[in-house]
Amino acid sequence: METEGKVIKCKAAVAWEPGKPLSIEDVEVAPPKAHEVRIKMVASGICHTDWTFLHEVGKTMNPQPFPVVLGHEGAGVVESVGPGVTKMAKGDKVIPLVVPQCGQCERCLSPKTNLCSKNWEKTQQCLLADGTSRITCKNQQVHQFIAISTFSEYTVVPEDNVTKIHPDAPLDRVCLLGCGVSTGYGAAVNTGKVESGSTCAVFGLGAVGLAAVMGCKAAGATRIIAVDINSDKFEIAKTFGATEFANPKDHSKPIQEVLRELTNGGVDYALECVGNVGVMRAAVEACSPAGGVCVMVGWTRMGELTLVSEDILLGKTLKGSYFGGWKSVEAVPKLVQEYLSGKILLDEFVTHRLTLDQINEAFDLMITGKSIRTVIQM
Amino acid sequence: MATAGKVIKCRAAVAWEPKAPLVMEEIEVAPPQEGEVRIKILYTSLCHTDLFHLLESTDNKGFPTILGHEAAGVVESVGPGVTEFKPGDKVIPNSGCQCRECKFCKSPRTNLCERSWVNDHIEYMSYPKTSFTCRGKPILQFTNTGTLAEYIVIRQIYVVKIDDDAPLDRVCLLGCGVTTGYGAAVNSAGVTPGSVCAVFGLGAVGLAAVMGCKNAGASRIFAVDINEKKFEKAKVFGATDFLNPKAYNKPISEVLIEMTNGGVDFSLECVGNTEVSRLALESCAKGWGLSVLVGYTNTDFSSKPIQLIYGKTWKGTLLGGFKIKDGVPKLVLDYMSGKIMLDEFITQRMKLEQVNDVVKLMKNGECIRCILDMSK
Repeated sequence: METEGKVIKCKAAVAWEPGKPLSIEDVEVAPPKAHEVRIKMVASGICHTDWTFLHEVGKTMNPQPFPVVLGHEGAGVVESVGPGVTKMAKGDKVIPLVVPQCGQCERCLSPKTNLCSKNWEKTQQCLLADGTSRITCKNQQVHQFIAISTFSEYTVVPEDNVTKIHPDAPLDRVCLLGCGVSTGYGAAVNTGKVESGSTCAVFGLGAVGLAAVMGCKAAGATRIIAVDINSDKFEIAKTFGATEFANPKDHSKPIQEVLRELTNGGVDYALECVGNVGVMRAAVEACSPAGGVCVMVGWTRMGELTLVSEDILLGKTLKGSYFGGWKSVEAVPKLVQEYLSGKILLDEFVTHRLTLDQINEAFDLMITGKSIRTVIQM
Repeated sequence: MATAGKVIKCRAAVAWEPKAPLVMEEIEVAPPQEGEVRIKILYTSLCHTDLFHLLESTDNKGFPTILGHEAAGVVESVGPGVTEFKPGDKVIPNSGCQCRECKFCKSPRTNLCERSWVNDHIEYMSYPKTSFTCRGKPILQFTNTGTLAEYIVIRQIYVVKIDDDAPLDRVCLLGCGVTTGYGAAVNSAGVTPGSVCAVFGLGAVGLAAVMGCKNAGASRIFAVDINEKKFEKAKVFGATDFLNPKAYNKPISEVLIEMTNGGVDFSLECVGNTEVSRLALESCAKGWGLSVLVGYTNTDFSSKPIQLIYGKTWKGTLLGGFKIKDGVPKLVLDYMSGKIMLDEFITQRMKLEQVNDVVKLMKNGECIRCILDMSK
């Protein structure tokens, strides 16, 4: 292509400072360096973490670097690769990954975790491995959210943060496997290890929660209680496999008490998909004392979770996971295959389709609870 | 026996109210009813849970009571419906139970039993029904046992029959402390060969956890305590490294993370302090670290959920996760065959009348376990 090896000028949604709407800007995207891949983004989902990063600085999120191009749930096509990249080539369909998989570090070699430690600190600073970014705007370096930045027509990502997927994959749907769906689904099947015949409760019915419901169903749970303060979400939760619904606002006593009564002592598995420490505590208290497992899925970096020690002493287990515990590079292509073969749902998550210049509208839809996932067609 | 079917008058150390010394009293112990066993207690020891209840209780709910839940004795008589036990059997009464019939007992995931007093009466630390009276007043049985009494009556689901040759003055420790700590490591944490572990708190429970880590094949065992006098004994049980948090000007979790290049694989909190619980969780390796809460406390624990989201697991243990009727007899045999140590936990031997001295020794950290001989 005529763009290979050159700076690309294109559109991106830039967050100049916290708390302000994104600004559609002309940006410059530098060519990929060694072990990097430049991707033409085709579609991107919008995740609550993007909004949190922008609007919750100092509340549930640590102070973060600005300006930044957000977006971490995307799919696209390789435009060019830098030196040393052998696993993919231009024209390949790919999904950038929120957690890398170098395949060589201690954590990649351990079956117990997916938290590759390569470049961890740099990605958390929203920079690439060499400590810089590939996006500039008005002569200013713009940070790349978790080293990805899918809210740009083109982006550059470290090769360990990208995976090649099936050429027939519909990018406007499989982009959701970049974060939300994989996170919720994996939290149930990988982290919680939900067992056949069990009783589960999922707190929060956004994309992550609905994916967790889908994971509980795939694992063979017999009862899946969907919990949300917005009853409008119960219909779609049923689509994903929920068997029962509970709205905390419909009950005068705490929801965990309601669930304990419904299940004669507590659920076997609870998955918290809100990212609120009050809900996390309720989820723990909703678990059965006899080996109940509570998985923290919802993201909060600064919140403090307070629990009754006796709950833990009597036998509950608390765990959590990042990106559903999936080893990203090898797992996401398999999830794409599962979608193509009908084992997992993706279409049902997409409630709106907008364009990049409508991205602030997409945020509004998410915050007001009117959307599950909005896909931005780049 | 001459006492079967009759009320027995005997000695007991009664806790009339929180924070007061125990009082030697003559009590009356009723005969066992349906499904109950009356046991003559020969040896008992105190556990920090006893001290916690006596010294830290904020109300009188669980009083008056007879403490003690770590003991061994012989069956004196049994009530109707009891077929598993007969007079003369050597037994260990337990604060956990195993009915074998409820869904919990049938599940491999838990050692809780639906019939346990824990399910409904934990704020009293006692089952409300008691077989003890003193001067006409009912006295509770702490954790359904109350072994600071020469005779106790408890339901058979709480009684563990052990080998006839078992030395009761040592295996009484398997009533709580050693079983709890050892099981926390081998059952609840599931310590793996070659792993790196940290045990916080080096009382009997912590030392048993160290022993469990060693028996499970851990390659490195950090013993953590602010009282360095305990390090020598920790070494006896298998600890490889020793850390006094007061020797560092940063949190001990950071020290452990540095010393292990990322954190330990397993940590066990054996103090019963929520700040220590937090440090134990934070000491674990990101990605796979597992922290077990062992020390008893009824105060709230706090931590950042990010600790869990980054792949750590937090769980707790009651009696080391053992189903008591299955697990405790095996531990007795393990002791008799030399697989586990018990003698090394015993630092003092006294008489029941000296019980307040034991409380003092334990408060001052001068005792791992003191065996109280119940004979006159």
